[in-house]
Amino acid sequence: MKKVPTIITGTVGSDAHVIGTKVLSRALKDAGFNVVPLGIQVSPEEFIKVAQETNADAILMSSLYGMADLDLKGFNEKRLESGLGDVLLYIGGIVGLGRHDFKEDEEKFKKLGFDRVYPPEADLDAAIEDLRNDLKAKNKM
Amino acid sequence: MEEKKLENKRVDEELLMKRRREELDRLPHGKEVDFDEAVAYQKSLPDSKVWWKVMKKLEDEGRMSVFPRAGTPVLEDMIELCQSMRDAGVVLIPVTTDSYTRTGQHEKVAEIMKEVGKNRKPLLNGFPIYYYSLKDCRKIIENVDAALSPRAAGGDFAIAAGMTTGGGGIGFLHFGSYAKNVSIRDLVKGAQERMSIVGWYADRGVILCTDLHGWLPGAPFPLSVGIVGLIIEAVTSAAQGQKALYPLVHCMGNMVQDTAWIRLAPRLIREYLDKFGYEDCMITGCCPSQTPLFPVARHMGGAFAYLCYIAMVGSFAKCNAVDLRSIDEGAGIPTTETHEVSYRAAKWIFDVIREQRIEIDIKGVEEEERVTEIEVRAMMDRILDLGDGDIAEGTVKAVESGVLDSPWSPNITIKDEVLGVRDARGACRYLEFGNLPIPEDIKEFHREKIAERERIEGKKVDYYTAVRDLWSLSKGKMVGLPPYDQ
Repeated sequence: MKKVPTIITGTVGSDAHVIGTKVLSRALKDAGFNVVPLGIQVSPEEFIKVAQETNADAILMSSLYGMADLDLKGFNEKRLESGLGDVLLYIGGIVGLGRHDFKEDEEKFKKLGFDRVYPPEADLDAAIEDLRNDLKAKNKM
Repeated sequence: MEEKKLENKRVDEELLMKRRREELDRLPHGKEVDFDEAVAYQKSLPDSKVWWKVMKKLEDEGRMSVFPRAGTPVLEDMIELCQSMRDAGVVLIPVTTDSYTRTGQHEKVAEIMKEVGKNRKPLLNGFPIYYYSLKDCRKIIENVDAALSPRAAGGDFAIAAGMTTGGGGIGFLHFGSYAKNVSIRDLVKGAQERMSIVGWYADRGVILCTDLHGWLPGAPFPLSVGIVGLIIEAVTSAAQGQKALYPLVHCMGNMVQDTAWIRLAPRLIREYLDKFGYEDCMITGCCPSQTPLFPVARHMGGAFAYLCYIAMVGSFAKCNAVDLRSIDEGAGIPTTETHEVSYRAAKWIFDVIREQRIEIDIKGVEEEERVTEIEVRAMMDRILDLGDGDIAEGTVKAVESGVLDSPWSPNITIKDEVLGVRDARGACRYLEFGNLPIPEDIKEFHREKIAERERIEGKKVDYYTAVRDLWSLSKGKMVGLPPYDQ
């Protein structure tokens, strides 16, 4: 029997913009994933703790208020220390302040350990397809 | 154990003063506030800096102002930003606080401000009001000839600093759109204390105004729950001594509905204020609001069009203020320049269109007004039943039982068993009614409107239709006809 991957969702830090993570959580559930929706304002520590507890395969963070990089200071180090180096890490939304090139965000968050970074209005189905491919590549699906 | 019932009556003054001092003393500069000195400072402000007077003047003169959202962390930059808005014709100026200030993370703010100080980079998404001394905050008031309002945080401290709004209603906005765990009972109880600060000032001859948000629908959703929220906030504010208030009417982008709701909300608020004996509480205007529907238009053209739409609706409805977001709202934190260009666009509409005093009769407005009014009255009747006539206790029970409900809620204590979609003309309809006490004939009205869209699109309307509708304004396509739907 194939394993059903466990995916953690939520907005990081103090961000209350809930709709993106709600829509994503529902779409992932409908696509057959085991979803652990943490809702809004999830601290980096809580993401790590829940990922350990649920033996998660991926963490999909949402952020729309432009300050995710401040929220995620030191997150990657803590994640690696916690033995979660193999957990896929995605983030999507408005992850930088002011008008700027999305490529800057992508580079910044990849350096922070994220596997994929999505701009606002990213296509849900395409993101789920990315997730499937990445999980398959890691032999987790 | 059953919790103590709430009552819609004025908070005991001794308790209030104790709480105020406790709250202020917890803030980095809260000890600088002297209550009597704050009253004297408020009384020294000229009319042009007093919110309710500015709104009344606008109304009397048939003018309007943008009421934007803006904040930046460095004091000198904040003053410059306010001055540039004033130059662009804005006389109702916000002091929008950053997200960390809103959530009480004062140490984190102080740490980030150290870095901000080094290179003057705006690392926070607003003005950290509690980081600055009272004297520094007053520099904003003293350097800007407009009325100022703290947004999302500030309260007693901001009033002492000379900002002239306060109260804020029960706080459905925070409860329904920002909070994760707050229960409705705790919300109402806390709000009564917060709102009674305004009553304390009113007793001393200082009238602070408040905008009421009602229950903000963060996505396409009929506004009846929102308007019920406005009525509850008005009546419960007035019970704490609020003497000046006005509703923000969240526009959903369908002009017929938006116009109907702008007409309906102040009318019903007045009726319920009078019904409960608060004839002396004035409504200082009506402010159509560019509800930051998620996601907002990121393309600059679309963003301009969206804010100009709200400015137009406000102009046609002869409002005195319009709550707008700058063209950068969807892209990140706006710069001084993008604030200015955005509000200049709105001002152009105010000065050119509003002053034409166009009388337009939009077909269908009466019908939308009638439908929403029936829904609002049905909900209000149920709330007062649940509270044995008391609106505060009734509100608590209504939210707990889903008689008041809203979709896409971040708050896990809210039922979230309702859903809205657009119909064939882009008007918002209930797809899922949850436990809202909507009469059967009105439910049928919504179903028929949705069925019309289903016929045109040739497919069933469901949850994913509601998801697609989230993008209707940001992608600039209201109705789900092909090729949008492909």
